[in-house]
Amino acid sequence: MKDDIRQFLLQSLKEMNYSTDGIDDDTVLGPAGADLQSLALAELAVRVEDQYGVRFDDDEAEMLAGMTVGEFAELVAGRAEASSAS
Amino acid sequence: MATSMAVTGIGLVSPVGTSAAEVFAAACEGRSGAVRPAPEHPLHGLLDVAAFSADIDPVSVLPATEARFVDRAIVMALRAAEDALADAGLEVGRDVDPSRVAVVVSGVGGLALLSEQVTSYAGKGRLGVSPYLLPGVLPNMAAARIAIKFGIQGFTSSVGTACASGAQSIGEALRILRAGEADVVLAGCSEAPLFPTFAAAFGNARALAHGWADPTDASRPFDRRRNGLVLAEGAGVLVLERAEHARARGAGRYADVLGWAATNDAYHPTTPRPDGSVAARCMSLALRDAGLEPADVGYLNAHGTGTKAGDLAELRAIRTVYGQSSPPVSSTKGVTGHLLGASGVIEAAIGMLALQRGLLPPTANLDDPEPDPEVDHIVKEPRAAQPGVVLSNSFGFGGHNVSLVLGDPGLKQSGGTG
Repeated sequence: MKDDIRQFLLQSLKEMNYSTDGIDDDTVLGPAGADLQSLALAELAVRVEDQYGVRFDDDEAEMLAGMTVGEFAELVAGRAEASSAS
Repeated sequence: MATSMAVTGIGLVSPVGTSAAEVFAAACEGRSGAVRPAPEHPLHGLLDVAAFSADIDPVSVLPATEARFVDRAIVMALRAAEDALADAGLEVGRDVDPSRVAVVVSGVGGLALLSEQVTSYAGKGRLGVSPYLLPGVLPNMAAARIAIKFGIQGFTSSVGTACASGAQSIGEALRILRAGEADVVLAGCSEAPLFPTFAAAFGNARALAHGWADPTDASRPFDRRRNGLVLAEGAGVLVLERAEHARARGAGRYADVLGWAATNDAYHPTTPRPDGSVAARCMSLALRDAGLEPADVGYLNAHGTGTKAGDLAELRAIRTVYGQSSPPVSSTKGVTGHLLGASGVIEAAIGMLALQRGLLPPTANLDDPEPDPEVDHIVKEPRAAQPGVVLSNSFGFGGHNVSLVLGDPGLKQSGGTG
């Protein structure tokens, strides 16, 4: 599941015209790493919500900037599994 | 008489060229940009005739991450602004303090992209809508993204007066410069109306030219057989400067904007006041603003879209101002089609080239002029004459009338050919 999410994330970045060179699990999503800014993070959240049927609250969006790719994939995997189990 | 201001740069995106010289040459030669949408085109069956501008890759004017989701109206505005600044030889920060530059660039906004997103929402709900929608479509975003791209920090706005908004942006620029609120203003308009919902709206309003075997015959302002306008897309941006600012940096100028005025018909949302009386008042006020008399005008670039009611009202307005002896009149929409608000900027550019070159473009397809009221139509061939002063009309849905007065400073020879 986590691998699948990681792949989806990288594919999304490419479609959003962001570079994926050198991006790994430790890369931060925000300006310090993958360089996604406010609307790009919001778009990534919408893409993931659409793909995995999860939901991010408004105040979580700010938090995404500080998360690494690995942390993000884990968060989404956890939520997707929780929602499919319920 | 208030102060006039210099135009030192022109950037155009139009169905008949991307430089003032190209557009002017097409106008003089009667070379139309109108085509019939191909059977596979989304507008086939909705528009009998349309006038497209050349494609512009959004990545050529915006960072790749931003270029992916932005309406064509904004892309064309950015290209026109870039070309206008290059034409003026002006770099913000180097040649002018960023806080002393203003932008007034208008248009109806990115309605094509909005329309797509409405469809996407209908299919997918919330998740079908991009968070980039608003900066991709809002009507202020042409001006705002120009400010962002070129580091412009002064007054930045857009005006919403439909097909009068390009001319009004130039007028507002004059107002800002006269008030001393800026040294340089980028003024213009960008319109991208060639998408199905908009085309259907114009068609259902019975405003479109139709039934012409040759699409280049369809736009025929003031001709008795006219039966509507030809919808077109494009953009225009002018660089206006205080004359001393232009002089100090050694910039050549195309012409001066001498005056302007805006009035409202107060009559109907789409039908012009039939007697043209308030449009006439607009023309008179613009001339008064420039400190001139009607007889000083040597060329009148009419709004003339090719609709039955609009052309007739404008002819009556001209008759009201001029009586039996009008200046030479033409509508260059015969070749460009109607670019909504952007027309006013393209036509101001044509007016300035007419001043420079002493050549007045004809109205294309004007085979049989509307007989009453009679004005001095320029037909078939361009007319060699030094106009000295040009009056340019733009009228919009909502009853908006705007007239610009342009004058010949006798300085800059335009670049390019044609």
